[in-house]
Amino acid sequence: MASTVAQKRLFHEYKNLSTNPPEGITAGPVSEDDMFYWEALIQGPEETPFEGGVFAAELKFPRDYPLSPPTMKFIGGGVWHPNVYPNGTVCISILHPPGDDPNHYEHASERWSPIQSVEKILISVMSMLAEPNDESPANVEAAKMWRERRAEYEQKVRDEVKKGLGL
Amino acid sequence: MSDEEPSLNIPSLLTLAVVSYFVIRWFFNRDESAAGGSRGRGRGNVVDPAQVEQIAQMFPQLSTRDIMWDLQRNGGSVAATTERILTGRGLETPPPSFQPQVAIPPTNIPPTQTATAASAPKADAQDLISRYNLSAKAESPPAESHSEVPSKSTWSQNKEERQRILQKRRDDMILAARRKMMQKNLGDAQ
Repeated sequence: MASTVAQKRLFHEYKNLSTNPPEGITAGPVSEDDMFYWEALIQGPEETPFEGGVFAAELKFPRDYPLSPPTMKFIGGGVWHPNVYPNGTVCISILHPPGDDPNHYEHASERWSPIQSVEKILISVMSMLAEPNDESPANVEAAKMWRERRAEYEQKVRDEVKKGLGL
Repeated sequence: MSDEEPSLNIPSLLTLAVVSYFVIRWFFNRDESAAGGSRGRGRGNVVDPAQVEQIAQMFPQLSTRDIMWDLQRNGGSVAATTERILTGRGLETPPPSFQPQVAIPPTNIPPTQTATAASAPKADAQDLISRYNLSAKAESPPAESHSEVPSKSTWSQNKEERQRILQKRRDDMILAARRKMMQKNLGDAQ
């Protein structure tokens, strides 16, 4: 039962994202036979070192979506960012279920709740690319570089962006 | 007289030690080869997990440990264990010392772990052009793909059509970004 609710909701979100796509975002299920596995493309935000880049990510939804949030992981590598684990997994508050904050720095309103959506996640990730959250970094190395050697960080990001586009 | 024939002397002790060493070694080697090769019928403590699973599916109320114990004692016969359960004799509780060794194919575990650890990042570190098979389209002139842009923000009632539209939007997004980046690179180079 729960999974049909999830499927309907995901289908609805897919339809909204297709008919009214937010700027710089493309997302949908890899195959409609499995509504719980999506791929998304996000454009790098302007006036950041990610500008001009396109980043692919996979979204895996739990069976009890939208009660629990999906997980999101960049694929194809190349997202050198304090809040993205070296394996590509994205770590931001909107992907954390309420009550699951060991660090107590996130407001409940920032975290996942059924009134959030895939679109909001992707928009949050876009702004995360522009403004890393320095608290509890997922990629310590990237966080350190971002904090202490900003020019080097930005150059690395630009190189990865080009590499991601096959250039 | 008895002084001349001691029941135990050093050479005989040594011989005994050497002989027993070889006997024990042979015994354990035999167990190992049985576990690796055949399904370890009745040899050692080896139980085939597939057989345990088979019985556990038929009789979910039974503990896996009891099933393993019975299988091990009857030499890995599913039929014998099943019959024993069906005739109402039930399974014996194994002694606490019983440590079932499950004959998991030894090749399975380490390679998957190392593979995901070592090769996954490499497989991931692939650019979007090769990921979505866009190398042919990336070479073609941009004007061609621009003509079909209206496919943006459409929704079809047909599942395949929807899939196609999504794929096209995705490809267009990547190719457009690539073209833009190439132009920018050219500009920077000059």
